[in-house]
Amino acid sequence: MPRWLPILVAAVLGLTLGLVYGWVINPVQYTDITPDALRIDYRTDYVLMVAEAYQAEQDPALAAQRLAVLGSNPPALIAGEAFQFAQQSTYPADDLALIQELAVALQTWQPIPGTSLP
Amino acid sequence: MTAKKIPWAALVVLVICFGLGLGYAWAISPVKYVDAEPNTLRDDFKDHYRSAIAAAYASNADLERARARLALLNDPDPSQALTAQAQRMLAVGESPETIQQVASLASALQGKVAVDPLPDATDTLTQGSETSTQLVSTPIVATETSEPTTEVEATNTPLPVLTATLRPTQIPTVTLGAPYQLVGQDTLCDPELAQGLLQVVVIDKRRQHIPGAEIIITWNSGEEHIFTGLKPELGNGYADFLMTPDVTYSVRMADGGTPASELSAPECTNSDDNPNQGGFRITFQQP
Repeated sequence: MPRWLPILVAAVLGLTLGLVYGWVINPVQYTDITPDALRIDYRTDYVLMVAEAYQAEQDPALAAQRLAVLGSNPPALIAGEAFQFAQQSTYPADDLALIQELAVALQTWQPIPGTSLP
Repeated sequence: MTAKKIPWAALVVLVICFGLGLGYAWAISPVKYVDAEPNTLRDDFKDHYRSAIAAAYASNADLERARARLALLNDPDPSQALTAQAQRMLAVGESPETIQQVASLASALQGKVAVDPLPDATDTLTQGSETSTQLVSTPIVATETSEPTTEVEATNTPLPVLTATLRPTQIPTVTLGAPYQLVGQDTLCDPELAQGLLQVVVIDKRRQHIPGAEIIITWNSGEEHIFTGLKPELGNGYADFLMTPDVTYSVRMADGGTPASELSAPECTNSDDNPNQGGFRITFQQP
């Protein structure tokens, strides 16, 4: 048996064990997640909250501001994705209508130049 | 019998490579969370999340749905978390409407939408205006089920699924921006209270406390803005201010309405016939 073979086996074994431990057994624990990392169903529910508020407030700028925490995509796109997921997940018709209303409103909404979303 | 040689070189390489693998897994390419839950959000984003829940509640008045959503944040006491958030929002000067939504949800969770004890004269004022609520049908959130969807990675966490269960929900009709009326001005001579204490209570037409309402107190050389809801233990429509003796104050709501004028800490005598400064309890009501 060549002398380097045990070294190579040890190296591969060590790396493998290290990766398994770091990725599977004891991975990095995140506690300060940003909303864009939320699971799709939670993101959709967040969009539904914004849509429910929008129904009463009729303020697309405020709705867009609230949706901005979900990432840098355009608010209309975020609402559209949520609508698609809500449709696939058979959300109640009332909720679907709210999200759709928000998505449509955001498609036609133009932000005022000079204002920025968070 | 000969002892086997320990392969020190291989062991050292094993340990080193284990460390390298661990470093890669933890620092260079850690596990990326793409399916996070709301309770793992950063604190400021949790505030955004609560604000959205409160805004939705302000729209649909569906307390069960709001409660189910708040549960996702794993706050030990959701109403306390909302109250604390409302205070933080007041401190940084966020819009009164948003603060009011958060504080109102906190009140609703505490079941403190109750009635403010007003004098009998006020009862007469509010009679006849208490029927202006409407019944609407709103969906409520079903409890979480354990159905995984095909769209996301399977996790151990149950996926909330919404089902349509219609029920009538009372939505209070709040006339935002309507001027307030001064409906109560009582002199307080309670020795248990701080001297010169000016208490202000703000209620709506159904005599429910209104949190986050801005009150302006003026006197000949100054002005102070205070907000209701900072002492939720005394009611979410409560705010107070300490008057200086021999100074005359005027109190009014920032949204307009009848002011309470010529307020000066009254002279009271306690049980030992010692004089002390009394206070006032002012009540504003949104008609």
